Amino acid sequence: MSEGMIIFGAWIAAALTLFLFSFLYKDNPFFKIAEHLFIGAGMGWYFQTIFYKIMIPKIWEPLHSGDPFKIFMVVIPALLGLSLITQFIPKISWISRYGFTFMMGYSAGMAIPVGLATDFMNQILGTIEPFANFFALSGWQMFNALAIAIGTICVLFYFFFSVEHKGAGKKVSNLGIYFLMIYFGASFGNTVMARFSLLYGRFDTLVNYSSAKYFYATSWILVGLTLYFVAEKLITSAKRETAE
Amino acid sequence: MKLFKKYIPLTIVFLFGIVSLASYYVPNKLSEDYLEVMNAWENIVSAFGFFLGLISLFYAHYMKIKKKVDGWGYSLFVYIGFLLMVVPAIISKGTQLNPDASLTWLGWAFRYLYNPLSATMFSILAFYIISTAYRSFRIKSLQAFVLFAAAFVLILGRIPVGQMIWDSILGFTKVTAGEAIDWIIGVPSTAGKRGIMIGVAIGAVVTSLKIIFGIERQYMGKD
Amino acid sequence: MKETIQKLLKIDRRYLFLLLTLSILIPILKPLGLPNKSISRDVKNIYNFMEGLPEGSTIICSIDYDPSTAPELHPQATAIIKHAFKKNIKVIVLTFIPGSTGLIDQLFEKLPAEYGKKYGEDYVVLPYMANIVAVITQLNSNLYSIYEKDKDNKDLKSLPMMKKINNYKDIKGVINITGTAILDYWVAYVGDKFGVPVMGGVTAISQVGYGPYLQKGQLKGLIGGMKGAAEYETLIKEPGKGTSGIDALNVAHLLVLALIIMSNLIMFFFK
Repeated sequence: MSEGMIIFGAWIAAALTLFLFSFLYKDNPFFKIAEHLFIGAGMGWYFQTIFYKIMIPKIWEPLHSGDPFKIFMVVIPALLGLSLITQFIPKISWISRYGFTFMMGYSAGMAIPVGLATDFMNQILGTIEPFANFFALSGWQMFNALAIAIGTICVLFYFFFSVEHKGAGKKVSNLGIYFLMIYFGASFGNTVMARFSLLYGRFDTLVNYSSAKYFYATSWILVGLTLYFVAEKLITSAKRETAE
Repeated sequence: MKLFKKYIPLTIVFLFGIVSLASYYVPNKLSEDYLEVMNAWENIVSAFGFFLGLISLFYAHYMKIKKKVDGWGYSLFVYIGFLLMVVPAIISKGTQLNPDASLTWLGWAFRYLYNPLSATMFSILAFYIISTAYRSFRIKSLQAFVLFAAAFVLILGRIPVGQMIWDSILGFTKVTAGEAIDWIIGVPSTAGKRGIMIGVAIGAVVTSLKIIFGIERQYMGKD
Repeated sequence: MKETIQKLLKIDRRYLFLLLTLSILIPILKPLGLPNKSISRDVKNIYNFMEGLPEGSTIICSIDYDPSTAPELHPQATAIIKHAFKKNIKVIVLTFIPGSTGLIDQLFEKLPAEYGKKYGEDYVVLPYMANIVAVITQLNSNLYSIYEKDKDNKDLKSLPMMKKINNYKDIKGVINITGTAILDYWVAYVGDKFGVPVMGGVTAISQVGYGPYLQKGQLKGLIGGMKGAAEYETLIKEPGKGTSGIDALNVAHLLVLALIIMSNLIMFFFK
């Protein structure tokens, strides 16, 4: 790709970025265009990936290999896959059930053992393991092991005993809420960093595109957008005056 | 007809469910071969799943254009966006880099069209978090205060300035901001999350069993 | 007086947007240049794992993020690949997210040349696959029944570094960098089931939720968000976008805290 195309790309990228940001000031056609382009481009990107990485090598090529076994191994899943699409034709939409039941059966069957092992048994083990040699732990480790065990039990109590919590039960489930609050608080704190990081990423790119190398793309587009908003404001107020 | 519409699909879900489940616990040549075939098939079937989303999106925007609803013109840009990815892909045969590591048309389209659109769309959320923080983060109870305290330590302790502030005020405790964060995530928050995790795991296993035994069949649609 | 202050609570949110913009933009233009000091235990664990690997061993790097989370995750992936290249560790790259294929190309655009590494000998990039459970289960018996070719349609088995690779037994560990729940699958279907060491690099949003897996040892290490990337960069002594990013967030983080505290004080004293 030539240097010119790279610079042109920077202008396009800076424009699309600023169009989307312009929504923060107010809704406008530039934002709407960029928003709809995003939806289409996302689908387009997904489509070309599926097409070139799966449809061609995993379906088209084996079908044309002449090897009966390979063909058989592709025809069945391809038919099951195609059956999904009958969903859009009400009269024969029941055919899609073949594809769906195949996927659901496989994934449900696969999900049960790992759900039990990873998120259930292992979590219980993780909670009680430290107690196996509890007295070999330091005081701080003992405290942490106890805190995790008590916290987990209280949270489970809060979730599962949906009877009206009274007396001791209420205290236990109340304590559970505090552990949940710490989890939510920590998640919120990290969400702030995550969101700001993404914004940093965009600003960093915009600053980069505002350099002389890209002929000040960001700055020019920003000026253009500002002029648009000023003009729009002037026109609407002029219209209002004539109406009055 | 009921046989084809209902009983065979339910048999499929039951059979594949039970055999996939069993293959986890019975590790032998047969179960490995079964999984190998299923894995290859499943990979292909799920690729078709994408077309469901594509068709319904295209149909929705096609109807908007056809009925000329407010702002129908924007719907055209959905198709333009789609073509802006697919046409370069056809020209570049699905590759993004030339052998000399320069960008192909597809690589260009990714870097200067899809990349800024997708990245900016999500970065806008940063602005909403700041207005939420200002307008709706209210510390009205002890529970809310605990939530705030955990958030406060994480927001402050992640940045170098925050670590300096922490050290100058709490330096005497010999606990650094980083250690405090490690502890919050590693102990009380782990307990909170683990409670949720165990609960969700039980729910997921029950739902999966319901699917296999044909009790849960919403995904099949109406008869 | 009271009314003026109360009005502050209802301030046009666009002023808040402007404040946030300035608080991130100004440090980008004029960096504070403060060093990242703390290193979290979970990041250090990944670093130690990589340091402990013998030269020439192979790891899987599952790169599953698209542009929407790239500012957080791309620096992480860059740091991991740099570390692997420095230590002469071979890398097999997989992906299950269509949007990450372009970013993977970007990742390997310049790095291999900088470290004198060759495609096919030191690293290989496999094509996108649709169903993660199916693929990562399959990798336990035979990699080539799913991946016959690499992402550029070259016969995978013909690449020199793949000669001795058949399944997980030939892999020392998995590092999954993702903004999705894909890491959960690696933990459940590969770490727990087959005993392969699984490590992760995730967005800050999901980092907190991995506490239980880390405590149990189901996850051997975790890099969280931009801060995690900065920490890894500090460890390998290669400051990059993570380090400069976390520097730029200084003011914005203080701004959020100030706004939360200010609005609550107003509520407390004037309402």
